[in-house]
Amino acid sequence: MSAIVCSHVDKSYGATSVIRDLNLSIEEHEFVVFLGPSGCGKSTLLRMLAGLEDISGGEISIGGTVVNDLDPGDRGVAMVFQNYALYPHMTIFDNIAFGLKRQNVPKAEIRQRVGAVSTTLGLDPYLDRKPAELSGGQQQRVAIARAMIKTPKVFLFDEPLSNLDAKLRNHMRVEIARLHQSLNTTTVYVTHDQLEAMTLADRIVLLRDGRIEQIGSPAEIYERPGNLFVAGFIGTPNMNFIDVTIGRDGDAWTLTNAGTVFTISGERFRLQQGERAVLGIRPPDLVAASPGASGNLLEGTADLIEFHGNDALVTFCLGGKEISALVPSRACPAIRADVRYGFDESSLHLFDAQSGMSLRRQ
Amino acid sequence: MPRRSSLPVTFVVPTLVILLILSMVPTLYAIVIALQNRELSSADYSYVWFSNFYDLFSDRRFLNAVWVSVKWEIVTVAATMTVAIGLGVLMFEVASPRLRNIYCLLFIIPVLLPRVSAAFVWKFAYHPLYGIATYPYRLLTGGMIFDPLSKPATALFAVASVDVWQWGLFFAVIVLKLLETLPRQPIEAARLDHARSWQIHAYVTLPMLKAPLVSLMFVKMIESLRSFDLIYVMTRGGPGVATETLDMYAFSQGFIESGKVSYASAMAVLMMVATVITFTMLWKRVQA
Repeated sequence: MSAIVCSHVDKSYGATSVIRDLNLSIEEHEFVVFLGPSGCGKSTLLRMLAGLEDISGGEISIGGTVVNDLDPGDRGVAMVFQNYALYPHMTIFDNIAFGLKRQNVPKAEIRQRVGAVSTTLGLDPYLDRKPAELSGGQQQRVAIARAMIKTPKVFLFDEPLSNLDAKLRNHMRVEIARLHQSLNTTTVYVTHDQLEAMTLADRIVLLRDGRIEQIGSPAEIYERPGNLFVAGFIGTPNMNFIDVTIGRDGDAWTLTNAGTVFTISGERFRLQQGERAVLGIRPPDLVAASPGASGNLLEGTADLIEFHGNDALVTFCLGGKEISALVPSRACPAIRADVRYGFDESSLHLFDAQSGMSLRRQ
Repeated sequence: MPRRSSLPVTFVVPTLVILLILSMVPTLYAIVIALQNRELSSADYSYVWFSNFYDLFSDRRFLNAVWVSVKWEIVTVAATMTVAIGLGVLMFEVASPRLRNIYCLLFIIPVLLPRVSAAFVWKFAYHPLYGIATYPYRLLTGGMIFDPLSKPATALFAVASVDVWQWGLFFAVIVLKLLETLPRQPIEAARLDHARSWQIHAYVTLPMLKAPLVSLMFVKMIESLRSFDLIYVMTRGGPGVATETLDMYAFSQGFIESGKVSYASAMAVLMMVATVITFTMLWKRVQA
């Protein structure tokens, strides 16, 4: 049985539509990440699951129960907020125990359950303190403890790591992943950070303008983006896009951009002669070509080199467009040197220029 | 370190001196008079030191005035805060933002009225025959007369209700604005934590607003001490001595009944000392 089902869900504020006809089903024990740029409706959708926003149309069910008109407390969900949302005047113990007290759980049981949760999250030394006396990471852990103690059917995380510094963010990300491994509770996690999405998710739901662009495992979304938006959004550094015209050359297909012609077998794609398309190639898939090499080559003058540590990002111009290649830093060319990069056809992506949809055969 | 300039001192000192003279001279003069036996009817006087104070403690009317003052203080402060918090929370929970603004505007109007005007308006409203506030009673009982201002049991509350009408509504606006400044997330977290609306306010929002609410209460306590004009217009301390607060009694001793200015001053000095001590203690207590 699915843990969460959204069918034909709409959300609008007055005339402004935020989410349109959204259909989604989340399996039990699954870790689903809503990913998308700011304003794509991902947080709104999460808040609709939590019951903090009204549902304008459609139906949401959690654990088989339609929850459209249920109060947030009655939905069996627990939420972790971006800015922790702790009760500032209560001690950590009271913060964690607040929900249980409201449900009239016996005192002894509250003490025992808070103890268990705080031990799991390493909060034992802080139970008597106030939230303001804790660091950001500890406060977020309290927020997670407060969510955990209710043993919810679904965990909702609303950008929980955005307020933490980079190092702590990595650390907490690992903790959340561990926690999910041990608790195995269905989890919906909202973020705009694709690294978090890629590392944590069983499935990523990529949203834009209130619509689902693609649903899939992190690998699926990275390797087989369904459209131009997904291809451009996922992956750091960003995918290179080159406008091409499709042509035929004997058995092979040609992709022409100004002076450059790429020849491919095109078996993986649905191609049509004369069609305009966008060729996509990820920077790490570009490899330096040996001096005598021929075939599919991208040539230019390196005009920017960004050192990343192990790798370096080489940017050059091709037909007026910036192209980047991620190369090992020891093989990094000098600035303003002529560079030539080749690629393997298997790492190629092709999209329809008009609709933006992938031309890959299903 | 930049060179110390004498400019700030030049500006601050004259103002401070004027303020000091304005506040200290009458205070010291009142203390001096309290130690004498001046009366309005004669120019002769001598120092009697503390005999005015001794007399006060055997004056039953004075003790009544102390009790009325304490009652007045407790009733008005408690009722104002209750009304303010109750109405503020109610507006926050029920009213749309647009409606809230309209309510706020309406609720600020009473406090803008000069207190004497408010007192007269309500004195008429409480009129047993023509008053709008007593109209429902006349209607329900078929024309029986109810005069809240001339019954010892109700007079104090009737006058206090005017004070609450002015300040409770105004404070409700402040409480609403305070609630609106609170971050949304702890409230949402509480909703997810199975808290009902009233529990959210009892356990989350109002405790978060403890400091400003306590300050509001102190403002009201100080304000309630200055209720002379309201009581003077509405009841003049009556019926009998039912609404005679300390300042009313001091005024009537000093200027209306017997002209015993020294006796009245002694009362004023006692009141000042008691107020300073009480407020200092409360303030320390709250801050601890």
